[in-house]
Amino acid sequence: MSKNVTQLHRRQFLKTSLSASAVFAAPMIIPSSALGLDGAVPPSERVVVGGIGIGNRGTYDLGCFLEQKDVQFVAVCDIKEKQRIAIKKRADDHNKNENCATYRDFRELLDRKDIDAVLIATGPNWHCTAAMQAAKAGKDMYCEKPCTKNIAQSVILKDTIRRTGRVFQAGTQRRNLPHFAFACELARTGKLGKLKKVYAHPAGMQAMMSGWLIPETEPNAEVVDWNMYLGPAAWRPFNAKLLDGFNFEKGGGLVGGGVLEWGSHCVDLCQWAVNDVPAPIEYDPPKNGQLVARYADGVELIFRETGWIPLGSCPVRFEGETGWVETGDSGKLVLSSPTLLAGRTVAEIAEYPATFHVRDFLDCVKSRSQPKGNAEAACNAHIACHAANIALHLGRQVKLDPKTNEFINDEQANRLRSEALREPWRL
Amino acid sequence: MNIFRRITFALIPLALIFFSTASAQADGPATSPEKEAELIAVLTSEAPASEKAIACKNLAIYGSGKAVPELAKLLSNEQLSSWSRIALEAIPGSEADEALRTAVGNLQGLLLVGTINSIGVRRDTSAVELLAARLQDADPEVASAAAVALGRIGSPAAAKSLQSMLAAAPAKVRSAIAEGCVLCAERFQADGLETESIALYDFVRKADVPEQRILEATRGAILARKKNGIPLLLEQFKSPNKGLFNIALSTAREFPGSDIDEALATELARATAEAPDRAALIVTAMADRPDTVVLPAILKAAKSGPKQVRTSALEALGRVGNTTCLSTLLESGIETDPVVSQTAKKALAELPGDSIDKEIINRLAKPDPKLYVLLIELIGNRRIDALPTLLKAVDNSDKSIRSAALTSLGNTVPADKLSVLIKQVVTPKTPDDAPLAQQALKTACVRMPDRDACSTELAAALERAPVPTKIALLKILGAVSGTKALQTIGTAAKNNDPQLQDVASELLGDWMTIDAAPVLLDLAKNAPAEKFQIRAMRGYIKVARQFTMSEPERIEMCKLATEAAQRIPEKKLVIEVLKRYPHLETLKLAVKAYQNPELKEDAAAAALVIAQKIADKSPEARELLGSIELNKVKLEIIKAEYGSGASQKDVTEILKKQATDTPLITLSTASYNEAFGGDPAPNAAKQLKVQYKINDKPADVTLPENSLIILPFPKEKK
Repeated sequence: MSKNVTQLHRRQFLKTSLSASAVFAAPMIIPSSALGLDGAVPPSERVVVGGIGIGNRGTYDLGCFLEQKDVQFVAVCDIKEKQRIAIKKRADDHNKNENCATYRDFRELLDRKDIDAVLIATGPNWHCTAAMQAAKAGKDMYCEKPCTKNIAQSVILKDTIRRTGRVFQAGTQRRNLPHFAFACELARTGKLGKLKKVYAHPAGMQAMMSGWLIPETEPNAEVVDWNMYLGPAAWRPFNAKLLDGFNFEKGGGLVGGGVLEWGSHCVDLCQWAVNDVPAPIEYDPPKNGQLVARYADGVELIFRETGWIPLGSCPVRFEGETGWVETGDSGKLVLSSPTLLAGRTVAEIAEYPATFHVRDFLDCVKSRSQPKGNAEAACNAHIACHAANIALHLGRQVKLDPKTNEFINDEQANRLRSEALREPWRL
Repeated sequence: MNIFRRITFALIPLALIFFSTASAQADGPATSPEKEAELIAVLTSEAPASEKAIACKNLAIYGSGKAVPELAKLLSNEQLSSWSRIALEAIPGSEADEALRTAVGNLQGLLLVGTINSIGVRRDTSAVELLAARLQDADPEVASAAAVALGRIGSPAAAKSLQSMLAAAPAKVRSAIAEGCVLCAERFQADGLETESIALYDFVRKADVPEQRILEATRGAILARKKNGIPLLLEQFKSPNKGLFNIALSTAREFPGSDIDEALATELARATAEAPDRAALIVTAMADRPDTVVLPAILKAAKSGPKQVRTSALEALGRVGNTTCLSTLLESGIETDPVVSQTAKKALAELPGDSIDKEIINRLAKPDPKLYVLLIELIGNRRIDALPTLLKAVDNSDKSIRSAALTSLGNTVPADKLSVLIKQVVTPKTPDDAPLAQQALKTACVRMPDRDACSTELAAALERAPVPTKIALLKILGAVSGTKALQTIGTAAKNNDPQLQDVASELLGDWMTIDAAPVLLDLAKNAPAEKFQIRAMRGYIKVARQFTMSEPERIEMCKLATEAAQRIPEKKLVIEVLKRYPHLETLKLAVKAYQNPELKEDAAAAALVIAQKIADKSPEARELLGSIELNKVKLEIIKAEYGSGASQKDVTEILKKQATDTPLITLSTASYNEAFGGDPAPNAAKQLKVQYKINDKPADVTLPENSLIILPFPKEKK
């Protein structure tokens, strides 16, 4: 695969001034001349989309999709009847018809030949398994993060996406936010000198597991399909407290927590800063609120709880021999020297809509290019998070072979690389 | 301690669940006999399923062959089979393999599918024969699981069994068998069995299987052939099937070496003539291979031909082009078609490399007249350091050139040369240039690293400029902000010229930092005209109302505002601020305001709101409220309950007794428990819920224990 596909081009930030033109209000792949006379997108240019597990985050994602004129949202699958009805209403209101189909089992949605792509926004328990099924069914997918529960899933997912030739976009939307992109570009292109350290904020270095709670009366499957909710997770009786998909079986209940939840964003950005090389090869156990990992070239990836400049959530910091940059969700950038801005203002760099990540995905569905949050990049970042969690869990250093993604002479760590899926699910 | 009982919590830190492993050694065995024995004991005990489940999970880390027999017993348990397989998939050694194989003979349905899946994960070559037999299982789920498991094993024997079954298998199973074949072919490729790999891929792509399997096999067949796969790839570009065309696009991107780039260039020429929409996509794929791309082919496509191919090629040049592409992009950048020209301009702005910058400067030495404006625009868009060139252009007699030069100056002028833009603002070449020069100066000023230094220069220019220019400079100072800008604008607000007073006071009113407060207060008292005093007063009150500051700072601002406000409308605005920040001091200010007959109603309402929020912490608030005569209302208590959860006491009658003709109800004592005759829910947080009517309009309120009883006015229905 061409290694520079996702590289941010030197002049990319200048597009703001040019993009003011109405010509670029439409994405590059669909010049306005290709649009229908009434401004509607002709059917041949539409991307037909279905949604799988559209909850809180998914509702936001769905809004981003619906904003795109070339998206036709036609179906929703959810294990909760309430969500199915709510999302159908939203889609129907948007489409001005009553055609949005509803499904309880996403395999029925995937069987539809007319659907090109799916939005997967279930809880993390399902992300990888649903993405694998979608890829094998010939669908492109926008998949929320964390995308995988362990290292083995990360490896299999990226292999499968490559094998099936599908377009995969992880919900790592910060890759399409200019201030993060700018910071990563400074690191990647040597503007900070030889890179020494990249910092990620794990926001809670504690792995959590979902338990087996006191059984409660299981609802009718039409209302809440508990069996489908559990999906690939090991069986346990119904308990309403576990219906919080956001936390349920994140990381398989063995590893997960903040390292995975926030790491799949922050570490992903660090990975971008180091040019998306394979995950670090050494992971020390946490010490004084920091977990240090090292890439093959000696650059340190530091998971750090505190010590951040207050720049909003998801902060990252990149340090080179001659300069540093730190940024976060506030959109602000702090730099070792204003010369790193090369004559631009922070405002010039930071103002761009977040829906751009969805647009990136849709453009790639059409061009078959690789989006910014492609499977290779996303899975490498996830591997780093999982390996860090294993070091955290074992309380000692672990060493990862970046070629095989197995731990070196470390059976105990290797046993934590994967976890069996509940029947009948497989990867 | 029975650690397993802890699992009845929803989310548990793992440190509480798992055994401490801090002392484990990286190279040592994963098993721990003692831990393993304890975990096995849980499995053999009468412990509830929940505990056995977590024991299985721990055995994935600490289990050995010794744990396998007990784990294997759970494979037929619908609740615990999946937990058991978590351990059995992870435990190394032949015991687990053997147990899973044995279970295949005893299970059916979903449990059998799960067991077969685990065999696939473990890649147990001894299971090939057993799995091959299951390819003909009547249950398509079982047969499909067996097919994928054989694919994961990936041995020649596994592949052979899959191949032999593909054609005859039911449609529901064929997809999985094809998937297994592709997995085997991939494994063959990795193991150097190239011929076998190609044969298997070709077998699948010619079979009657779902399209996605054919796409996967086609991709594999192309890549496995290496250079010899290029014709097969090109064949897909000609396919009427969109899926095959798309797989060619993605496979082209991952194809190793540079031979494919030449082939893509040739294909581009063909597709441009026969299928322009597809040619446009091929260009994008070519540009996604920046290291080996055949640039002349894209350049040629950018120069002429179908519009969609041209725009795609122009966009691609922005990513992979070099100086050889500059002429084409410049010429395209001045075409009349807006899609073409804008795409070219975007590409020119993004085109990587310092050599491009140098070439642009070289061309500007003797510019082609028709390209002059575009080249000047590029100086700004690419942030090229070319001040002398821009200064020359800004003096040009052609307005479009001057306009482009001013815009580019705004984007590039360095701090130490800001004066050149100030000069353009103060003495523009023509009056028409003034707005553009002002915009350029603003663009430059807001990116200056030292705001005060920038403002000092602007302030100096202000002194010698005519009034219209002064106004423009003041607005730029407002955008720059900072201490010096604030000071300069504050001074301008007291200038004798009403126009400057107007602009300056408006800028101060919109100031976004708290340091504007003293300047605004001063202006509120001393501005030359009343209307600007009023504007400044309102700006000052806005700072007090909206900006982040400490409590003492805000209270002090409220006091000063109360003293400075001359008119009733501003005094009422101050009362609104008091109401927004409940504190004993703001209550005092509200009570003080109550002395003004014109503020009575607003002040009383504010005092009630403040008092209700602080009464439980500030007994003084009750006394202060006593000095206020509240408006009379018709109050009717309908129902009142005091308590917590199910323990409620009906206090309707007590409240009715204490109610008067104001919204304030004073109990016999500040303690609800005492006033209501006892504690209805000891050691619990209690609330008083009141249903009532004010002036015949119903409402209800819930108050925390011991808070001041002020009944809010019923909300008007919209």
